[in-house]
Amino acid sequence: METLSDKPNKIKVVFQPSGKSALVAPGTLVLDAAVQAGVPLDTPCGGQGRCGRCLVRVESGNVFRPQNPHLTAKQVDEGWILSCITQVVGELVVTVPLPKEREKIVVQTAATRKAAAVRCEFPRLPAVRRVYLELPRPSLEDNAGDLERLKRALANTQGIKDVDVVLPIMRTLSRTLREADWKVTITLDTHDKGGVPRLIDVQAGEKKGQLWGAAIDIGTTNVWVDLVDLISGRSAGRASMLNRQVPRGEDVISRIIYSQRDGGLDELRQLVLSAINDLVAELAVGSKIDAREIQSMVVAGNTTMAHFFLGMPARTIREEPYVPGAIFFPVYTAAELGIKINPYASVYTVPAVAAYVGGDISAGAISSCIFRSDKLTLFLDVGTNGEIVMGGADWMTTCACSAGPAFEGAGMRFGVRAAKGAIEDVTINTSTLEPTIRVIGDAEPVGICGSGLISALAEMLLTGVVDRSGRMNVARLQEKARNGKSRARVGDHGVEYVLAWAGETSIGEDIVLTEVDINNLIRTKAAIYAGIAVMARNVGVPLENVEEVLIGGSFGQHINVEKAIQIGLLPDLPWDRFKFLGNTSLSGAYNILMSKHARAQVEEVVGKMTYFELVADASFMDEFTAAMFLPHTEMNRFPSVAALLGDRHESSGTP
Amino acid sequence: MAPLEAPVEKWTGKIRELKLGSGGRKTITVGGGTTLPFVKFEGAQPHRPAIAIEVQDKEPTDWSEFLVSAWGDALKNPGAWAKKAAEFGADLLYIRLASAHPEASNTGAAQAKKSASEVLSAVDLPVIFVGPDVAEKDNEVLVAVSDVAKGQRVGLGNCVEKNYKTIAATCMADGHVAIAKTPIEINLAKQLNILLSDVGLSPDSILMDPTTGALGYGLEYTYSVMERLRLAALMGDGMTSMPMICTAGEESWRQKESKATLDVPQAWGDNQERSLIWENVTAISLLAAGADILVLRHPKTVVTVKAALDKSF
Repeated sequence: METLSDKPNKIKVVFQPSGKSALVAPGTLVLDAAVQAGVPLDTPCGGQGRCGRCLVRVESGNVFRPQNPHLTAKQVDEGWILSCITQVVGELVVTVPLPKEREKIVVQTAATRKAAAVRCEFPRLPAVRRVYLELPRPSLEDNAGDLERLKRALANTQGIKDVDVVLPIMRTLSRTLREADWKVTITLDTHDKGGVPRLIDVQAGEKKGQLWGAAIDIGTTNVWVDLVDLISGRSAGRASMLNRQVPRGEDVISRIIYSQRDGGLDELRQLVLSAINDLVAELAVGSKIDAREIQSMVVAGNTTMAHFFLGMPARTIREEPYVPGAIFFPVYTAAELGIKINPYASVYTVPAVAAYVGGDISAGAISSCIFRSDKLTLFLDVGTNGEIVMGGADWMTTCACSAGPAFEGAGMRFGVRAAKGAIEDVTINTSTLEPTIRVIGDAEPVGICGSGLISALAEMLLTGVVDRSGRMNVARLQEKARNGKSRARVGDHGVEYVLAWAGETSIGEDIVLTEVDINNLIRTKAAIYAGIAVMARNVGVPLENVEEVLIGGSFGQHINVEKAIQIGLLPDLPWDRFKFLGNTSLSGAYNILMSKHARAQVEEVVGKMTYFELVADASFMDEFTAAMFLPHTEMNRFPSVAALLGDRHESSGTP
Repeated sequence: MAPLEAPVEKWTGKIRELKLGSGGRKTITVGGGTTLPFVKFEGAQPHRPAIAIEVQDKEPTDWSEFLVSAWGDALKNPGAWAKKAAEFGADLLYIRLASAHPEASNTGAAQAKKSASEVLSAVDLPVIFVGPDVAEKDNEVLVAVSDVAKGQRVGLGNCVEKNYKTIAATCMADGHVAIAKTPIEINLAKQLNILLSDVGLSPDSILMDPTTGALGYGLEYTYSVMERLRLAALMGDGMTSMPMICTAGEESWRQKESKATLDVPQAWGDNQERSLIWENVTAISLLAAGADILVLRHPKTVVTVKAALDKSF
């Protein structure tokens, strides 16, 4: 083996098929070279050599590669390496496998979208407002300065006594006023509580029509932008895309680990920023406006996402005692943050509750209206993590369970987002064990999304394809083989069930659900259910007393309550108690964008919520293990499912 | 002033009764309790906990010298060992088919049948057979033993979450009892009972092995899991109400306090006495936790535990 230090010069690394390249020092990780070359590689584990997903193939050149169990002997022979642990030794050409879908932006215009899921109403009072002023022309009798003239008019007509003006506007103010013949429309920003309003825009003449703002939800997996007219409250369009940080770690923990690499934090910040800017630009084009006309922005995201968005280190979120850099985030201007809208516009980041209950949940508590409810309410946000709020107008408790992104399609063999081509529903025939699938957009399937996974697992349980621990009954499936093709088989990734044959898909590959996927799903649903159960026990309320269950999250509008109960994700309550609110984080950001009352409310709510740290709760592991079964070890908690399964065991609670 | 009345717990559930031995073989029934162990003023404990002695189908190579000297040449032959165990007062036998382990002699179905036949013809006590705890080998040797012991209602184990279907099926076919072993966790114990029942095995043919931690090695952990299993069953949970078997001998003789004979600190006392105390304390504690069958190794422990039972049962 050559040593790595005796080659002083920079080495060229070329990434095919794009042909992008980087010059790096010997010993540099191939992954870092890829980052430098601007070639995205998936590192769901954060670049620790744990997941085996950052595969690239060496076409020519020299590398130093430590052994890793994720590579098979065949892969090693073919030249595959894990880029996160392999070092560059000499001139190198590698091929990067084509990424799956994902980068795509999905736009929903008001026309194509169902009615907005805004549930909570607040008096309309955006933090930015537009004022039309007609100033008297200066004269010898009235020779006040231009700014003083403007302030005087503001005081006379609006009762606003003072205003701050940013320097670039100050430098052009006199000219603008004269060119406009003293008739201008100004935009005032009143984000800072009790402070002086800021003048952030001056336009000639009387401007009518929309005043633009943007609500943002930075999810760990997906980023959403809602372009809103602050005057009418109407959304001009919503757009979403995969959070570009995902290749740097699929969950917040992997991503925090990645952020601790050299330059990692700034890279993560830039990645999410570019996603937001691209989405905003896309929506601006769709509404035929200039993105600089957007005058206000509210951003909701979990605590880690908020830290990355602001470029704050998040290391301490991961380490005991799990302390975030901040809970309440100061308001910054778009220019300071690198957001491409009006550079002087304020960007408000929704406050968090704790390290693992973030602004997305605070926003959700607002938009779900739980804080006003006189019913005992359970609010669930099922995203990459599951967060839970229980209570109502008088009290609220919250906790977070590290559920993982399975329901968002991440980390699953054929997992995809809920978009065109995603299998969203599965039915399995009781006697033939053959599946029937429904695909979003009636397209050929590309993969399976959260709702599809839930219905697939429920059907597998009810038809005996899997036992109650999620293990597949391969022998039984093989008896049912049709034309010599069995739906169950042992593939490269263990036992798997074929949901769609290659010929029926648009990816030319069999779409399967593996036992590993199923285990992953069970772990995810168990974490969420256990969190709910522990929270209910801690506040001393039987779960069946919950009068309303509000569900947010990106799959919130699609999932089938019946199936979710069958797998033990949701408590077995009458179906009419469940309400799906869609993306409550985005709706909450919208509420705050539209009303300073909502902003005051969210700040109050954050202070009011009692946070439970599940890690510190001795009963959580016990509840979790009990929930690692279908639907649950304690069948008496799921009477409707027991009836379906013809449960013959009498059983009651375990102390 | 009214006299103080002792609080009496009323239980609605019952531990299942389980019978081992049939077809001319002696039988033994365990379980059936309607109270926590030895709390007889709250309910009945109709069957005295049973003592099984562990026998292996090959001479153990890693056993303590105190065990070796207690059993002598009997260790070399499972039939002779079984007979001697009966003489030492075993209520039933626990036969470990250790030779089938891939790292031991890697024997198969034929050897298992031979060993089982030898034991079954040497004694008329009820018998439990366990494999080497390697899934593929367990399935092979236990199916073979099941056939040999057909109609004699023996115990077969260990069923674990990852490997239970074959053993359950052979128990159903030949009328045997399955041993369901789980790693010291109440939910996992219950889950395995459900999985076994779901494939059609009667809950009355399941014996739970909750996994034993020896004194100083998780005994209190085992104790609390067993106690919770009993409480759940007495509160009416039919999927935790199977009788329990504990391998107290195997676990306590594995620990350094039982094995060490060289350079032992003086304060540790006599080596043999200490080893026996280790097995005794582990075993008797587990009786209090709700063990229905104790599997022991040393004949002297059998005597001590039986004496303790005579006084307290």
